[in-house]
Amino acid sequence: MALGSLSLALRQLQLSSRSFCPRASLVYRSHAELIRRYATESANLDLAVDSASGIAVLQLKRKPVNGLNLEFLTELNLTLEKLEKDRQVKGLIFTSAQPKIFSAGLDISEMYNPKPERMREFWRALQNFWMRLYISPLVTAAAINGHSPAGGCLIALSCDYRVMASGSYAIGLNETLLGIVAPFWFMDTIRNVVGQRESEKALQLGRLYSAEEALKVGLIDELVPEKSVLDHAKQELLKWTQVPSHARQLTKLALRKPTVDKLLAKQQEDTEFFAEFIVKDSIQKGLGKYLEALKQKK
Amino acid sequence: MATLRLWRSFARLKAIQPYTYRTSFGCCRSMSDVTAADFDLSTDEDSGIAILRMQKKPVNSLSLKTITAMNISLEKLEQDDRINGLIITSVIPKIFSGGLELTELYQPQKETLRELWRVFHEFWLKLYSSRLVTVAAINGHAIAGGCVIALCCDYRIMASSPYKIGLNETQVGLQAPVCILDSMVNVVGHKTGERALKLGELFLPAEALKIGLVDEVVADDAVLESARREVKKWLQVPGHARQLTKEALRKPTIDRMIARTDESIDLMYNMLSDDVTQKVLGNYLASLKKKEK
Repeated sequence: MALGSLSLALRQLQLSSRSFCPRASLVYRSHAELIRRYATESANLDLAVDSASGIAVLQLKRKPVNGLNLEFLTELNLTLEKLEKDRQVKGLIFTSAQPKIFSAGLDISEMYNPKPERMREFWRALQNFWMRLYISPLVTAAAINGHSPAGGCLIALSCDYRVMASGSYAIGLNETLLGIVAPFWFMDTIRNVVGQRESEKALQLGRLYSAEEALKVGLIDELVPEKSVLDHAKQELLKWTQVPSHARQLTKLALRKPTVDKLLAKQQEDTEFFAEFIVKDSIQKGLGKYLEALKQKK
Repeated sequence: MATLRLWRSFARLKAIQPYTYRTSFGCCRSMSDVTAADFDLSTDEDSGIAILRMQKKPVNSLSLKTITAMNISLEKLEQDDRINGLIITSVIPKIFSGGLELTELYQPQKETLRELWRVFHEFWLKLYSSRLVTVAAINGHAIAGGCVIALCCDYRIMASSPYKIGLNETQVGLQAPVCILDSMVNVVGHKTGERALKLGELFLPAEALKIGLVDEVVADDAVLESARREVKKWLQVPGHARQLTKEALRKPTIDRMIARTDESIDLMYNMLSDDVTQKVLGNYLASLKKKEK
């Protein structure tokens, strides 16, 4: 394949990735404000780039459980975009600075008694983050050093590779246990990793796998002692970055774009579906109960 | 979801209801003892679990009448709010189900052949898309159509005795309908599914477990109890969330099947009208008779 057409393909990739950014509108103005406010603060994450290897390590550190709210997702989106534009950066590892938690997933306070406009912004930010991460030209890995339910599991599943700490941490898409249904693109993501059969069991039962079980079904790729998780992720990424980038990126895109296109084609519809679904009495009740139970635990 | 609702009302319009029969729902006149004896359906409102016990001698074969009756039962269960789980099993020793009634496929009545495939597709759809938690308690050989019943369920538990399970249609000179090919691939994956289907492989319990065709292998006398335990476990999950999740996960396969039902029925009809297929079927039936002797 001529270099010219490779570059063209990559340029098209970059152009299409820009469409993930928020559209100019009232919404965009508030996003611009958010960008200015959070770009430099980094209260929620630490980013370290090793220029020798070209591998970036993104440590999630939003207290208490790396919950994904609108601000955090926006910041993650921007960070990802920045890293993709940086020619020095070839790979990205997600890990956590919170003890025992990789990420607890979507911040429930965004879904309990939500405000209509913010709720939609939140969902769009989540969609955009997943779409960008899933077909990122960077090699991505999850160094799972804590519990990883729901949205946390989604981040891990969206990466190219998953290393998890041995021990008592659990990982899985447990939405049904909270009485909610994972969006179809969550299902597509897990299906692409563990297959249809395992996904049916995993999703319907809202199963949280132990690290051993997760390895057995292929939900994660490697199981190592906690202190080695980050190193193993780095070792693996070094292998992946040896492969000629153009070829690897186009291959990843070809394999993953159909899944992303499915959401792109009905992004608005999916947002409205979420908005309608989440405000249902039965759902709100379930979420309320869950929040109560969390408070009781403390 | 809308597609499924539409299909259900369409199916209700089109469903044949030539026979009414006695069941624990307390139904009407019994017009055919043959159908009434094919299976027993018991429901337990406390647990919300129904058990369908196939009891049609000698091999729980799926004839036009049997499948039609099963379709009616499945529809009734679907509408019954008190029931949320279904276990399918057999009371005939060593047999779960031997699949479609071969005498209806060999030198078939042309008029009923198409009808047979229509109700079979309907059966697959009803069982595969059921809102109920479905568990197959496989306490005997589950061949072809018998394996299909198991594949449509959410979970499969098999007895450890050397029973066989698989889709051996190619061995009998047939291609299984596309929806069944999909079911197999959905359960065991593409690579294994392709091989199993092309070769018409039948698996012993240990092998079936290894490839994921069944989820558990237990002692023969523990199959039903294990099935009950599993259904109860699944019923712990909030019902609406589980049902919507199942629907979403199975939607691509279901949509593909609905879009091609007529095509699929035509395919099966044409295949069975073919001389070569009939010859292979005839030889297979003859060899079965020889085995009996």
